[in-house]
Amino acid sequence: MFKKILFATTASPACDHAARVAFDMAGRYQSDLSVLHVLGVPSRGFGQYVTDVRTGEQLVPDEDYVAWVKEEMKTTYAEQLKQCPGCTMEAVAGIPHTEILRFARKTDADLLILGGHTKDRENEGYTYRNMAGSTLQSVARSARCPVLVVSRPAASFWGGFSNIVLGTDFSKAAEHAFRFALSAARQLDCRLHLFHALDISGMHAGKVLEQDEIEDRLRDSLNTMRRKYVSQMKDFKNYEIDAWEGVPYVEIVKYAREKFADLIVMAHHTGSRDAENSALGSTMEQVVLRATCPVISVNHADKVSQDA
Amino acid sequence: MPEGTLCNRKMVNEKEFLSALLADKQGKQYYAELNELDVDHKKLVDTLSKTLKSRTKTWLEICAHCGMCADSCFFYLANKKDPEQVPSYKIQSTLGRLVKAPHKADNAFMQYCMDTAWGKCTCCNRCGSYCPFGIDMGVMFSYLRGLLFSQGFVPWELKIGSGMHRIYQAQMDVTSEDWVETCEWMAEESEEEYPGLEIPIDKEGADIMYTVNAREPKHYPQDIAEAAMLFHIAGENWTVPSKGWEETSLAMFAGDWEACKMQVESVYAAMDRLKPKRMVVTECGHAYRATVIEGPYWAGLASGKTPVESLHYVEWVAEALRTGKLKIDPAKKIKEPVTYQDSCNYIRNAGLRDIPREIMSYIAEDFREMKPCKEHNFCCGGGGGMNGLGRYREQRNIGLKVKRDQILATGAKLVISPCHNCWDAIRDMEEVYRIGIRWSFLKPLLLDMVIVPEHLRAEE
Repeated sequence: MFKKILFATTASPACDHAARVAFDMAGRYQSDLSVLHVLGVPSRGFGQYVTDVRTGEQLVPDEDYVAWVKEEMKTTYAEQLKQCPGCTMEAVAGIPHTEILRFARKTDADLLILGGHTKDRENEGYTYRNMAGSTLQSVARSARCPVLVVSRPAASFWGGFSNIVLGTDFSKAAEHAFRFALSAARQLDCRLHLFHALDISGMHAGKVLEQDEIEDRLRDSLNTMRRKYVSQMKDFKNYEIDAWEGVPYVEIVKYAREKFADLIVMAHHTGSRDAENSALGSTMEQVVLRATCPVISVNHADKVSQDA
Repeated sequence: MPEGTLCNRKMVNEKEFLSALLADKQGKQYYAELNELDVDHKKLVDTLSKTLKSRTKTWLEICAHCGMCADSCFFYLANKKDPEQVPSYKIQSTLGRLVKAPHKADNAFMQYCMDTAWGKCTCCNRCGSYCPFGIDMGVMFSYLRGLLFSQGFVPWELKIGSGMHRIYQAQMDVTSEDWVETCEWMAEESEEEYPGLEIPIDKEGADIMYTVNAREPKHYPQDIAEAAMLFHIAGENWTVPSKGWEETSLAMFAGDWEACKMQVESVYAAMDRLKPKRMVVTECGHAYRATVIEGPYWAGLASGKTPVESLHYVEWVAEALRTGKLKIDPAKKIKEPVTYQDSCNYIRNAGLRDIPREIMSYIAEDFREMKPCKEHNFCCGGGGGMNGLGRYREQRNIGLKVKRDQILATGAKLVISPCHNCWDAIRDMEEVYRIGIRWSFLKPLLLDMVIVPEHLRAEE
């Protein structure tokens, strides 16, 4: 299921943890791995200059420069390349999320791997910092394939998969996430934990629920999971279902910790076109920042096996 | 010394030459060669004799040096009323002298002309509105740019820019294949949210042929998707041409008259081929000026008009809102104070003054005009190619102050700017001066507030 992996990297320490996961997975599943680095962000109108994402320098990315950047990437990942000698390195200039999506489409990637935020990095230019924050949002929103995000060092220790947690909000996109999680659990022989977090964060705003009502809703959620998901799982028995109440991202992270999850699968969907605006509200983004394992966002059905 | 290998009077017609220019980091070698470039006086006199017409001669002659143009120029205001920034001085000390004594033009003088034509003027044409004789220094600077270009005295980025048009018929290295590919990609991206959405390529006889700025397929393909969504919601019968889709003209900024003609002819050829009823241009000011206002003359069209009626994007939006093709959800109108940046290229050059006000009346609850505004509005500070020129970055940033203060005075934090150049300049202004504003094209704002008809909605 991970035949063509695309690892999009800032080629900076911010992506080291993601790199470890990317190369490890590619080695483990004998995947074709492409490493893509968006080296510069265009910033000067029609000008040919781009702002180098690492040095902040203004430059024109001609062939020589791109070749040099690729060499640098090979040096950066020299150790990891030993496990994946067939891995290809690509460097392009452009708006990161656009180029990542364009490349994923061109290579028909079936898994995209991204590092976490670089928002807090001092040495990266103003423009790039603003963009890095929204790159994840935009990529997760539009990518046709699952997007695996590794943001914390703790999330990168990878010893193969044993436990997969699916966080669902019962949306249409969550249906795709479920299919992906199920197919991964089958193929990798994992335990699948289906989980729904009942959002009671409105309590602070005065929307107090009676405990009976909370429990009724949790029961409903469990039934919905049985109806929507378990009914499709046929002979697959290695699963459990749970529903907890709370603030969704907190509950998902807690649940994943309790179940020793190696992977969280979620749908990322937001109606908002403005990535910066939706960033704070997005449960997925909060889970990514806090989880101790990689998080896969699935938003489209394209690269998800349809036979459950 | 005669011509250099990069800085010379040759046109960039081959990829090898273009690559060599691009490889020259920040134009270092190019500008070093510029210092040695001689002036081909014979050619200069010849060009003048063929192109210097009565209007320019008269303008240069009748200028009364009254100084009425001084306060009209944002560079003059931003540079603490430096007399050398008075438009009439700028043009008399360059084109005026050049015309009087072309034989005396030496390298230093030509460089002074270049630094004035591109570094002290954005060809916003505002001075022309304030001159009692109607002398338009912006028009004359465009002419001067052409003379300088033919002699090889042109900023490095614009030598490249005009070369891009010559080689790719686009301001960036976007081929016809890249363009079609990007349209297909964006249609795929959008079809889930808008079932049935298409980006029809090369459809004959459509009501609208849509054309863009090469930056959109290159860096901002989402803009194309947004345009497609809005056409889809409005129920338009539209298409994009596989060739002749690029509206912009860095050749115009560069003064490369030949490439200007080639570029607009590629768009007109698409019109002839696909026979659309009308053409709509994306949210770009100079693209509209180049292809719709100036282009017909470059291409020698006797009517002075494009082969089919052509609209700027704001005209299409206003029409769609007026006729109810696009309906705004009243609850989603922009509530916060919002202001609007008039692009010089379609305000002073095409009179699109009331159209944006009409749009704002449909979409904004607290619209605040800049002062001055409409045809008296100041240039964003980055027009005429200035945004992209490294050599004049500092001058550009000083010039931005006028627009910055105009925006701040409105109290609005959101600036609507249906022009790529203005959009860029305002973004850079935020980067340089950090005044806490946001800037947007119309498309994403409209998509957030338009009512999607029942039959076009995706099932959830």
